[in-house]
Amino acid sequence: MAAPIPPLPLDPEVPAPRLGRGRLYRRRFVRNRGALLGVLIFVALVLFAAFGHLLTSWNWADPDLTALTQPPTPAHPFGTGQGGNDLLAECVHGLQRSLVIALSVSALTTVIAAVVGAGTAYLGGRTERVSLAVIHFLLVVPSFLILALISNRVAGDWRVLILVLTLFGWVFNARIVWSVSTSLRERDYVLMAEFMDVSRWRIVLRHIVPHLSSLLIINLTLGVDSTVLNETALSFLGFGVKTPDVSLGSLLADGASTISSAPWLFAYPAGLLVVLTVSVMLIGDGLRDALDPTSRAGG
Amino acid sequence: MVRYVLRSAVGWLVMIVVATNATFFLASWFLDPRSNYRQLRPVRTEEQISRALRPYGLDPHESLVGRWWHWLSGVVLHFDWGHSPTGASVNSEVAYRVVISGQLVLAGVALSVLFGVALGVYTASRQYGVVDRVSQTVSVVLYNVPTAVGALGLVLLAVWLNQRAGGTVLHVAGASTPGVDGTLPRLLDRLDHLILPTINLALLGYAGWHFTQRALLLDTINADYVRTARATGLTRAQAIRRHALRSSLIPTATSVAFTIPTVFTGAIITETVFGWEGMGRYFTKTISENDVHGTVAVAAFGAVTTAVGAVLADIATVLLDPRVRVS
Repeated sequence: MAAPIPPLPLDPEVPAPRLGRGRLYRRRFVRNRGALLGVLIFVALVLFAAFGHLLTSWNWADPDLTALTQPPTPAHPFGTGQGGNDLLAECVHGLQRSLVIALSVSALTTVIAAVVGAGTAYLGGRTERVSLAVIHFLLVVPSFLILALISNRVAGDWRVLILVLTLFGWVFNARIVWSVSTSLRERDYVLMAEFMDVSRWRIVLRHIVPHLSSLLIINLTLGVDSTVLNETALSFLGFGVKTPDVSLGSLLADGASTISSAPWLFAYPAGLLVVLTVSVMLIGDGLRDALDPTSRAGG
Repeated sequence: MVRYVLRSAVGWLVMIVVATNATFFLASWFLDPRSNYRQLRPVRTEEQISRALRPYGLDPHESLVGRWWHWLSGVVLHFDWGHSPTGASVNSEVAYRVVISGQLVLAGVALSVLFGVALGVYTASRQYGVVDRVSQTVSVVLYNVPTAVGALGLVLLAVWLNQRAGGTVLHVAGASTPGVDGTLPRLLDRLDHLILPTINLALLGYAGWHFTQRALLLDTINADYVRTARATGLTRAQAIRRHALRSSLIPTATSVAFTIPTVFTGAIITETVFGWEGMGRYFTKTISENDVHGTVAVAAFGAVTTAVGAVLADIATVLLDPRVRVS
């Protein structure tokens, strides 16, 4: 028997604190300036959506009949539309709508995609074949057309829009989650859990899904982006949020018809939209770098 | 190879048939052709409306299965895709719109893929250089510009340009100017109309290709086989082009297929803004006019373009990847 190896003397000057995962991620994220900028802009936009109505004395639904299609003035900082609506108030309300729709759709689709994708991969057999067939079928079906069909019928209720966008939004993510999880189902800890007689859905939820967390967090952020773009496209074509309600997309559609005579009606909602999507994309990029398991960044 | 392609084409054909029929039922469920007649003055009775819709197989008093059979037998036996509620033939509407949309979507996809992949390759082989950083920033912004914003921005720019030039340099609306005669003038006129919408599709579409191609090439650029290739005496550029690029193009080729529907969606808005009477405009028109048969035709067109793209992607994968064996 060899003599027990004496413990290494700890160097008091170089403490080697073991970084927790959360702190490591936070450090990597904060180091990325673009991502920080994204967070700042996003927070500013959320505050603007929540408290922006204090910046103007006008309500988004009340027309100012003394100021029709006016360029920006102190009374109406963003100008007014053809009906005399204060554009600032409308932008605040529209941003609120777009944010609420985007955040809830993105959260819902991520949850559905995680459960369906991971569950399908783990359960295998007939369940897997059937749900993959459904997923592939939904990928072929022109989903934008069906989105337009349904949301046109229900006439612009934003809550129904959330449901419809969720209905078609989870499919692609579920396909990705599925292909990643197929490699997880053979892992030792999954087998171990099986030997311990853990129930199947518990294995999916407690042992497989947490391993997809970085993928899911990134999908969640980028899902916000794609939902905003989808909602804008639908509302722009007149199939999404409709008058009397406004979203950024419907504001764009209104501004489009007067683009050369009243460009501000187009410019402000367009600017808000681009700033919103760019900030979300920057956050998503930062998260991707921070959560990357193969990252070469040390701490 | 041929058998493999044929087999996947048959699979796609089944998908198209199922998707088209499913859209028929959805459209019949959500669209009510009677509302087109209800707006007419003098007011029609329900009986009159039903009688007007019956010859087109759109009468809601007939059973859904009966209407479906009417439509399906027309498509299968005569390749007749039906009529709008007011009696316009879907076939003649779609025939000229397909050409207009086709040139827009094809040109848009081709340009954005070419430019995006080229930029991705260039920046990946010069990672963290000035060009890489600048183009990354530009692409992030362009990637996030909604199609409507991009298209309207281009319109503003073109209007300003035309005013500065004192004439029409770039056409902002329509696919062609009526009354232009002669082969060459007509061709030039078409091209001029094509410029702005194509730029719009390409400018907003290329960024995705830039990101993916850059990431994919960065993954393979340090692979062992690329180092081996350099050891045989190839220059870095040659090794990248012949070995790293080839394997990194495979995922790109597969995803081209699945972006065609998204490009088509982008084309709907582009066509709306630039006033092109293509399939995209037809899409919005059929849904807002409760045109069941027209909507189904648009869905079928979308499914066919996806399938064509997917089959082409399969062929490209087989050609590019020496590891894929088909028999």
